[in-house]
Amino acid sequence: MKRDRNYKILALKIAAPVIAMILAALISSLIILAIDKNPLQVFYTMFKFSFSRLDSIAIIFFNATPLIFSALAVSIGFKMGLFNIGIEGQYLIGTFLAALVGFSLKGLPAAIHLPLVIMAGIAGGMLWSFIPIFLKVKRGVHEVISTIMLNYVAYSLIHYLIADVFKDKQQSLVEGLGSVLVRTPKLAESALIPKMHGFLSIFGIQLPKHVYLNWFFPIGILLAVGIYYLVSYTPFGYELRAVGHNPEASKIAGIKPDIVYLKGFLLSGAVAGLVGLSDLLGYFKYMDMDFPQGYGFDGIAVALIAQNNPFGIIASAMLFGFLKRGSEGIQALLKVPMDTIVILQSLMIIFIVVITKIINDYVKRLEKKEAA
Amino acid sequence: MKIRKLLALSLVILLVLGLTTGCGQKAEPKKDEKEQQEQKPEEKKIKVGLVYDIGGRGDLSFNDSAYAGLKRAEQEFGLEVTDLEPSSGGEDREQLLRLLAEDGYDLIFGVGFMFTDHIAKVAEEFPDVKFGLIDGAVEDIDSSSNISCLLFKEHEGSFLVGAAAALKSKNGKVGFIGGMKSPLIERFEYGYLAGAKYVNPDIETFSDYVGTTGEAFKDPVKAKELALKQIKAGVDVIYHASGASGVGMLEAAAANKVLAIGVDSDQSLTATDEQKPYILTSMLKRVDNSVYETIKDLVEGRFEGGYRVFGLNDDGVGYAVNDFNKDLISDIQPKLEELKEKVVNGEIKVPADKNEYEEFLKTLK
Repeated sequence: MKRDRNYKILALKIAAPVIAMILAALISSLIILAIDKNPLQVFYTMFKFSFSRLDSIAIIFFNATPLIFSALAVSIGFKMGLFNIGIEGQYLIGTFLAALVGFSLKGLPAAIHLPLVIMAGIAGGMLWSFIPIFLKVKRGVHEVISTIMLNYVAYSLIHYLIADVFKDKQQSLVEGLGSVLVRTPKLAESALIPKMHGFLSIFGIQLPKHVYLNWFFPIGILLAVGIYYLVSYTPFGYELRAVGHNPEASKIAGIKPDIVYLKGFLLSGAVAGLVGLSDLLGYFKYMDMDFPQGYGFDGIAVALIAQNNPFGIIASAMLFGFLKRGSEGIQALLKVPMDTIVILQSLMIIFIVVITKIINDYVKRLEKKEAA
Repeated sequence: MKIRKLLALSLVILLVLGLTTGCGQKAEPKKDEKEQQEQKPEEKKIKVGLVYDIGGRGDLSFNDSAYAGLKRAEQEFGLEVTDLEPSSGGEDREQLLRLLAEDGYDLIFGVGFMFTDHIAKVAEEFPDVKFGLIDGAVEDIDSSSNISCLLFKEHEGSFLVGAAAALKSKNGKVGFIGGMKSPLIERFEYGYLAGAKYVNPDIETFSDYVGTTGEAFKDPVKAKELALKQIKAGVDVIYHASGASGVGMLEAAAANKVLAIGVDSDQSLTATDEQKPYILTSMLKRVDNSVYETIKDLVEGRFEGGYRVFGLNDDGVGYAVNDFNKDLISDIQPKLEELKEKVVNGEIKVPADKNEYEEFLKTLK
């Protein structure tokens, strides 16, 4: 009987996201029907476009990269019972510092410059996560409030720095008309992250030039493995989880929750500092007002779907990457309007979050029964 | 028991999914055949695509003007057209441009200067596809290039509506609300301020910006707040260059019975009935004409790359007169036409940025 139940638990865990996607697809079908399109054709195109082209597959990986970092950062917070909504601000500050080191230092070899740039990103993320956790530990300010507010501070600070202080003055207007871009100077070549094209061509995979998949993707995977090990197998990981389950009890057990909060939150911020680097060093090569925003919030959804499991995070980040790429396909090929696509994506995400949560709670109850 | 039911249910759903995807695959070759059949007789149909900025369509202003040009060309030349909008900034813009190019489009527009780098990249990859960039300039291109940059002298049109504002203001206070603070929107601002000061050197001017990102072009709530603030300070004619945000300014103006000036499209035509009596005029930036002309050139085989400038002299910019503002504007129209003449023949050099504006003010004294 017990073994039976184990199988059921496993089957349920695997079935959860599948059921969620099917339900989401059914509801979305109604909306697609409402705009006079054929749902089957839309979903078929979405899948075909995303998985039958090599560039689409690579772009899904590229799209997933920032979300892997972001969700990992969120999950570290969740593990110790803290809600780090400030990833958004942390990665913007991290990205800016990385860009600053990238364009102001010149003539360094890539082997020194690139690590320096990455360190700057990490430092930026840590700096922006230190403020809220310091306030929490010293003054008991709730981290949700302080991180949300610091996001706004970060947005505005970055805009000020890019638009006024570090704006690239080398750009010129043609005939005094049009507009220059509001952006930093371009980063030095030595600061950029190499693409994965060369490496993949060893295995006979020739990626097209317009794919920007770079080494941050494997770095993200390695980081996921590292965080899994840290949380599951090290004393610090044990402390994180203990504080997350019950701070009072862990205090009695001799763990200092404040120290754990501080270390854990700084780690979360450090990971958050890497979120924007794939885009900055692999695509834009400068930071502008148009730099992608929202990775921090998407990361929360990715972490929720994955139940904070680092490997689940990789999978659910890929799912988000697929939703983005697939929607480019149905927009360009089937002329599905952007507004409809946003509704579709949001429905998918809500369904997946809610249904995986319901099923996982059910599984937990089953597991408890088994233990008893 | 419950688990079994759940499992059974999920199995059923899986089966259904299997069926539907199966159907999809079967249907596919048929569709391809159809497409092939369709394509043969219509091979010559020219395809034109247009990619907006985030939140583009429906701003009743800049983006809708581009769309109007596309539609006009579609009707006239029987083109196949499509318009797209990116979901997020950056790479998404580039992918949409590329997908259209891959899909066999002959001419693709990027609406807004944010497309500058993306168009430059994609145009290099697809030398046979033509690109139109509105408001932006790719450096170092000439007429042999496959990129045509469509630029406007917004400051000249803004100069005229600035003059109109000063002529109509009773309190001697006029206001401006910009969208995203950038050299482009500053041209609207300084052209407008210069026009107002030219007519009345003692006039008091107010300027506010909604923000510093693309978001600033679709935040009507903030634009309304800024407008109310200016109106409270005594401003009685107010102009905006803030895309979809401007709807908020029009609301604020109508609610407080002060005059508003629209931008890009003729906003009297799309405003609500309560707002119409308070719209003095609109600064027309004929994005529609520029899109239309570019498509026309392509259809007639005269497409040229490089830079194309639209100003007061060729009606690329101007001010709107329509059935709704006829009575409001008729008394100042002769004066505006006189000023227009002076700008066109170079007697007045309209400032386009802060430095030029300060120089301009000195010449007035």
